[in-house]
Amino acid sequence: MSNFNSQSKPQSKPQSKNRNRSFGQGHFNRITVWAKWLLLCLLIIPVVAGVVGVFLPAMGYFPAIGAEQFDFRVFAALFDVAGIHRMMWLSLFTGVVATVIAALFAFVLLSVFYRSQMLSRLQIVLSPFLVLPHAGAAIALVFLLSPSGFFARLFTFDSSAIASTNEGVFLFDSYGISIILALVLKEIPFILLMAISVMSQPLIQEKINGYFKAGTALGYSPIAIFFKLVLPVVFPQIRLPLLAVLVFAVSNVEIPLILGPNDPSTLAVAILHWFNHIDLSMRLQASSAAVVQVGIAVFAVIVMLAVEKGIIFYGKKWLQRGKRHAATDKAISATAYLLLVAYVVLVVSAVYTLVAFSFAKQWTFPNIIPADVTMLHWNTVFDAVLTPLSNTVLLGVSVSFSALVLVLLTLESEPLNAAKTRASLLLPTALFLPLLVPGVAFLYGLVWFQQLILKDAVWFHVYVAHMVYVIPYVYLSLAVAYRKFDNRYVMVALSLGKSPMEVFFFVKLPLLIGPILVAFALGLAISFSQYLPTLLTTGGAISTVTTEAVALAAGSSARLSAAYVVIQAVMPLCGFGLAWWLSNILFKPSTNTRSTNKSNTGKSVRSV
Amino acid sequence: MLVIAGSAYAEPSVDGNDIAIPGPGANPNTYANTSPKTSPKTDPNPVVRLHAWGGSAQVNSYLKWVADRVERKHGITLKHVKLADTSDAVSRVLAEKAAGNLNNGSVDLIWINGENFAAMKKNALLATGWVTDIANFALTNPSNNSAMVTDFGEPTLGMEAPWGKASMVFYYRKAHFDSFNEPVPQTLQALLQFSQQQPGRFTYPVVTDYLGISFIKYAAIALNSSNQSLFYSPVTQKSLEKITPSLWAYLDALHPTMWRNGEYMVRQASQLQRLIGNGELSLAFSFTAAEIPSAVERFDLPRDVRTFAMSDGSLANVHFIGLTFNSPNQAAAKTVVNFLLSPEAQAKKQRLQVWGDDTVLDTSVLSASQKSMFETQQSHPSALDKSQSTPLYAEPHASWTDALRQAWEERYGARY
Repeated sequence: MSNFNSQSKPQSKPQSKNRNRSFGQGHFNRITVWAKWLLLCLLIIPVVAGVVGVFLPAMGYFPAIGAEQFDFRVFAALFDVAGIHRMMWLSLFTGVVATVIAALFAFVLLSVFYRSQMLSRLQIVLSPFLVLPHAGAAIALVFLLSPSGFFARLFTFDSSAIASTNEGVFLFDSYGISIILALVLKEIPFILLMAISVMSQPLIQEKINGYFKAGTALGYSPIAIFFKLVLPVVFPQIRLPLLAVLVFAVSNVEIPLILGPNDPSTLAVAILHWFNHIDLSMRLQASSAAVVQVGIAVFAVIVMLAVEKGIIFYGKKWLQRGKRHAATDKAISATAYLLLVAYVVLVVSAVYTLVAFSFAKQWTFPNIIPADVTMLHWNTVFDAVLTPLSNTVLLGVSVSFSALVLVLLTLESEPLNAAKTRASLLLPTALFLPLLVPGVAFLYGLVWFQQLILKDAVWFHVYVAHMVYVIPYVYLSLAVAYRKFDNRYVMVALSLGKSPMEVFFFVKLPLLIGPILVAFALGLAISFSQYLPTLLTTGGAISTVTTEAVALAAGSSARLSAAYVVIQAVMPLCGFGLAWWLSNILFKPSTNTRSTNKSNTGKSVRSV
Repeated sequence: MLVIAGSAYAEPSVDGNDIAIPGPGANPNTYANTSPKTSPKTDPNPVVRLHAWGGSAQVNSYLKWVADRVERKHGITLKHVKLADTSDAVSRVLAEKAAGNLNNGSVDLIWINGENFAAMKKNALLATGWVTDIANFALTNPSNNSAMVTDFGEPTLGMEAPWGKASMVFYYRKAHFDSFNEPVPQTLQALLQFSQQQPGRFTYPVVTDYLGISFIKYAAIALNSSNQSLFYSPVTQKSLEKITPSLWAYLDALHPTMWRNGEYMVRQASQLQRLIGNGELSLAFSFTAAEIPSAVERFDLPRDVRTFAMSDGSLANVHFIGLTFNSPNQAAAKTVVNFLLSPEAQAKKQRLQVWGDDTVLDTSVLSASQKSMFETQQSHPSALDKSQSTPLYAEPHASWTDALRQAWEERYGARY
C-alpha cells in the first residue's frame, strides 16, 4: 500500500508538506496500534482477573474463610449436589436447541425475503425484540403466555371464568421449553441483522447478485438459490456472532430466572444463587460451578461446530444432486410467513398488554381491556426513574462512544500494519473472551479485585464492566462491514495522494457511516441491557433502568413492571431510530454515493 | 437471590472526595451549611446508604419520605439501595471485610432480622452497642419488652435497633371462594382440605425466600402444638426428628395440589401478590397486613380481596435496622436511625395508606401528644379485621430456620 502511495506521489509537492504528512501518518499509525492494545487490555484484563477470582476458590483457595489448600474437593462436592447433572443438561439443552432453531428460522426468513421489499418491513417487525433487553423480553412473555395472560384472556369467553393454572401449564416447564422460546424469539432478529449486514456489503452483494442470476438462469428457485448458493457465502461471516449467541444462550441468567423451572433451575441461576448465599463457604461451590459453566459453554461451541461440519458434509452431496427446487420450498415459505405472523401477533399483543397494564386500574381475568385507566403508575415511575434513566444514558453513551472509537481505530490498524502482529493474533480470541466466559463466572471474581484496588471508583468499575460486553458486539457488528469495505476506494484515494489518516476520516468514515451508527446504537442497547455487570460492580450504588426493571419484575406490582419494560423497549429503539435517521441525513448511499465520492476525489485532485 | 440496584433518589456519584466544593445552591439544607469552612473531617452533607428490600412500593415511598425529612432536618442525604434479597447486602459487607475494607464500606444501614442478623453477628459485620446512643430507643421500653433486644432468639447486643413489627396474615379472592362455594380456611388443616378440593389455587414461595420458610415454620409449629417449647431453644437432631414427621406428611399431601402441581414454586413472596392480582391464585399470605389494602388502592389487587389471620396461630416477629462495622458515616447513620424511631416516623409508618407496619414504640411510655399521632386508623374492606384475636407464635430460635430449610431441601430438592 505504501508502495502504491509513493509511486503516485506527485513530484511537484513541496518537501515540507510531505514530511508533515508522513509525520502525521506515523502518528496516526501509532494511535491505531495503541488503540488496539488498549482494546485488548479492556477485554482481557477484567475477564482474566475475574476468572482467576473464581478459579482460585474453585480449587479450594479462599483465604477469607480460611480455605488455603489447593485440591479438587470443591468439584467433588459440586457433583454431589442433588440435581446438578440436570442443571447442566438444562443449560446445555436450552442453549443449543434455542440457537439452532433461531439460526434455522433466521435463514428460513432470509431465504424467503432476501430478494423482496419485505426485508426492510421484516426488520421493523423484528426490531422490538432485537432491542428489548432479555429481561424485558422474558417479562413480556410472562404477560402474554401465563394462564392469566393476554392469550388466555383472548380465548376465555366465560366472563366469570377463573384462570386455570394446572392445565396446559407452559411457563416454568421443567424441560425449559419456555426458556427456548424466549431465547429463539430474542436471537432470530440478532442473527438476521448480522446476516443482512453481511449480505449488504458491496463485494458480497455483488457476488450474491451474480450467483442469483446464474442460479436463476440454471432454473433454481430463489429459495434453493439462497440455501445452495448464498448461505455458503454468508455463513462463514456470521459464524462468530452465532457462537456468541450460543454462549450467551447456555449461560444467561435473566431468562431462566424469569421463565425457567426451579426444580431444578439452569446451572447459571444456581450459580447466581450460590454466589449470593449468605454462607460464604458456598462461594467455593459457586466458583466451581462457574468453572463448569465455562466448560458447558465450550462444549456447546464444539457441538455447534460439529453440527456445522455435518451440514457441510451432507450439504455438498445435496448440492451435487442439483435439484432446482428444494423439495421443501413451499413448506419453507409457509414457515417464513407463519413466523412473520407470529412475530407481528407477539409484538402487537405485547405492546398492547404492556402499555395497557402500565395505565390500567382494575383489570381482572378474563377481561381483555382494563376497567379504567390512570396515570398513577406512570407518576410513580416518573418519580423514581429520573436518576436511573440519566445513569443509563450517561453510561450507555460514554461506553458505546469510546468502544466505537477504539474499535474503529483497531480495525484501521489492520490494513495499516498488514503483517500479523501479536496484537492482531490475540484479537479474535480476546473478543470472544467476555462472550465465552459466562458473566456469572467472571464478574464475581472481578468484583473481588475491584474491592482490592480503587474500591471507590464505582463509575470506573461499571464503565469497565460495560466495556467488556459492549466492545465485542460493536466490533462484531462493525468488523464485517469494515473488512468487506470495497478497498478500491482506498486505493484510489491513496493513489491520489491522500494519507491513510485522511483516507480514514474522509473516505472510510463517510462511506461506513450507516454501519458505524448502527454499531453505536447496538453498543447503547447492549449497555442499556446490562444487569449483572451493573449490579455487581456498583454494589447497587448506581441504578439503571434495567436494574430497576428486574427489581420490579420480582416486585408485587405488574403495572409498574409493565411500565419499566415499556421504558426498556423505548430507550434502545430511540438509539436505533436515531442511527437510521442520522445515517439517512448524513449519507444516502442510493443518491449520494456518487456525489460524495466525486467530491472526495475532486478534493484530492485539487490538492494534487 | 438477586441484588437489585436502585437508589432512585441518588446523586450520580458520591464519595468523600469532593470536600470543599459547596454545591451551587443545589441542596437547600440550611443546617449543614452553617459553617462552610469546617474542617474536612465532618462532611457537611453526609450520605447514608440504607440497604433495604425494595420490592414494595409502600416501603419505597415511605423511605423516600424519610429521606426528604432527614435531608431537611439534618442535612443528611439518605440513599435507599433497593435489594431483592437482603442477603446480597450481607455478602457484600462480608466481601468487603474479606478484602480488608475496614472503615469505608458501601453499606451504612441495613434492614435485617433473623438469620441475616445471625450471620452478620457471627461474622462481626455490625457495629456493637450503638443502639443505646439512640435517644428514641428508650421509647421502645426495652427493659420491659425483650422482643426489642432479641432477634429470633438471638440477643441483639446493641447491634441493631428495632424498626417495626409484623405478623403473618392470609388474604383471598372473595369472588373465587363464592364461586367455589367453599368456606375460607381458618386453620392449617382446612387449608389442605381447600387445596385438595380446588387444586392449583394456593402455593407458597421457595424456602430460600423469607415468606416461604415462614410458612414452613408456621406449619411446623401448628402441627406440633404439644411440642412448641422445642422451637424456642437451639435446634438439635432429636428435636428436629420430633417435629418433621407430621410436617412431611402435611407437605406431601399439600404439594401435588398446589399451583402448577407444586412443580414450580415462586421465587419471591412478592410474586404471590401478583398471582392473586391476576387471578391465578385464590389464597395467599403475607407478613405485612397493610400492604393488602394499599395494593388494592393501587389496583395491583382486585377489590374482592379480603385479609384475615388464621385462627390456629400467626407467626410474628420484629424487624431491625443494623449499622455496619465499616460504615464511614456512623454519626449520620445514627441520626437517621433516631429519626426512624421517632414517634413522627413510626406513626407515619403505621398508617395504612403509607405502609401499615406496626410500631415498635411502647405507647405506654409516650406522651399524650405522641400517642395521638398513632390514632388515624380507618377501615378498608380489604384490610385486616383487627377485632378478631389470634394467638401469636413468636419466631423460633434462629437455628431452626437453617435446619428446617435444609431438611426441606433434602426432602423436596433445592429450588433456586
